[in-house]
Amino acid sequence: MAIHEKTLIDPDRILQHDHLVVDGVDVSGSWNTMITPRTLTDYEEHFEEIIQSYSGGENVHRCWQCGSCTNSCTMYAQNVDFNPRYWIYLIRLGLKAELMKDKDIIWQCVSCNKCTNICPKDVRPEGVMKATAHWLEDNGLTPKTLSTHFDEEFTHQCIEFGRIEDTEVMVGFFKRSGQPLVQAWIVEFGKRLTKRLPLGQLAKMGMNVVFRPKTKSWGKTGEVLAEYVKAQKEAAHHG
Amino acid sequence: MSAQDTVLVVGAGPAGLSAAATIASMGKKAVIVEKEDVLGGAPIISGYAKLVPSGEWAKDAIGRMVSRVEGDGNVSIHKSTKVTQVAGEAGNFTATLSNGDKLDAGAIVLGTGFTHFDSINKPEWGFGTYEDVLTTTQMEQMVGTGQIRCPSDGRVPERVAILLCVGSRDRQIGREWCSKICCTVSTNLAMEIKEISPSTDVFIYYMDIRTFGLYEDKFYWKSQEEYKTKFVKARIAEVTKSPDGRLLVKGEDTLVKRPIVIPMDLVVHAIGMDPNALNPEIAKTFGIGLEKHGFIDRAEQYTNSQGTTRKGIYVCGSATGPETIDDSIAQGQAAGSRAVADLYGQQKVAS
Repeated sequence: MAIHEKTLIDPDRILQHDHLVVDGVDVSGSWNTMITPRTLTDYEEHFEEIIQSYSGGENVHRCWQCGSCTNSCTMYAQNVDFNPRYWIYLIRLGLKAELMKDKDIIWQCVSCNKCTNICPKDVRPEGVMKATAHWLEDNGLTPKTLSTHFDEEFTHQCIEFGRIEDTEVMVGFFKRSGQPLVQAWIVEFGKRLTKRLPLGQLAKMGMNVVFRPKTKSWGKTGEVLAEYVKAQKEAAHHG
Repeated sequence: MSAQDTVLVVGAGPAGLSAAATIASMGKKAVIVEKEDVLGGAPIISGYAKLVPSGEWAKDAIGRMVSRVEGDGNVSIHKSTKVTQVAGEAGNFTATLSNGDKLDAGAIVLGTGFTHFDSINKPEWGFGTYEDVLTTTQMEQMVGTGQIRCPSDGRVPERVAILLCVGSRDRQIGREWCSKICCTVSTNLAMEIKEISPSTDVFIYYMDIRTFGLYEDKFYWKSQEEYKTKFVKARIAEVTKSPDGRLLVKGEDTLVKRPIVIPMDLVVHAIGMDPNALNPEIAKTFGIGLEKHGFIDRAEQYTNSQGTTRKGIYVCGSATGPETIDDSIAQGQAAGSRAVADLYGQQKVAS
């Protein structure tokens, strides 16, 4: 009741407590709401350099905030919160907390590159979006997608064994993505499989799970492969 | 020395020095009257560092202009002297100097310049209150020493904030003009600071950036892209001090739509160009008009381009409004030529 214009305030700045004591005075009840200040109190100067170290982010420091990118943006036409011009400004000054508020939509960039084509300073905003998304991912600031979990399990098995094992991939994928191992469709799959009873195939799958065969003379190939993937990833991120 | 072959040049800054050299080069006599005891005007008296756009040190560049007239037999110089009275008319003026001398001249060129805005008139920005709040001219002098330090305790500043439009574009204090040069000077100053002190980050707080013409990429872009100057769109409301001794700049970041209170070590006011504080006196002495801001008013501009409101008296440089050094020098040549043409009595002016 104390604040009638709550809609004007960012929800995350409104503090409400059933019981609140300020300076020894019990202000519970009508006065139990506090608002944290909106003031920005510092810059993180080196944040710009971090984004610049990712492929695509190199030119972010050139931006002069004309807004051509946002103006031409395919996504902005769908969602006014998708504002590359604004994010670039936040990156330049290192206003990370502000940027975090939009972390769940930055990845929505569709790479149409209209911004890159129109930018008078050659900032390459599409690249900045990509670099920012990679930075968010690297720092665990965005949840991994199901396909990322799948990729990781798949890659892990390739590198470890030189081959994948269907059942293992599925189990690993379910574990990584926090899904139950027993799912309705698997039960159904099992039932139908039992009807036809391809015993030989089942036995082979069972043996493979138990003994986990490796590709012949796999040797150090896995290590080399892992090294290569790491180098490629670094090259992609750091130009 | 007769009136018919003499032009009186008032002021020995870039404009006046240029006018005098032009007059002398055309075989006429130039008499320079300068109120200060040194020649060179603001760039020398205020100790500017490297000039825009040449990048040459002011004392070298303007020094050359000074030695050019000092070594010229057609130029005579009166330092620490003012013109107190002007009688006569175009083609035949008689000027009385503060030392009592009288001087006949066929035409007069005013290169009386400007006065730097006094930051005391914007007390909310901390000049005069905090030692670490400086003006661009003071910062230029610091650059000249080759060291960037906080005056309060001599530490190397981690951050410098340059506030643009101090004494410009401000109806509050009756300065409704853009001072034209401060954006470029500030982007250049940011580069000079970074060159001397690579660990210092420079932030420029702006409303607009007006680095016109070729200053765009040579100064604004270069400062941002190569010297990492950060441009923040905010007109600072107040400069205060935090308990730890650092300065706090308060304002609204208009692009984030949020209030900011950011710690800084040095705050530099990019001070504007006021009309010469002596303009009312100059207007009275020479019988000329001032325009609405207090700069010297100009005659019909298209056929009498350097004219004042009084026939036979010309004006050049920042006396007519904020001006660059390059343009002041060009206008000095133009005014000098007009004045010499007057001596021949052949000047054609649309009435």
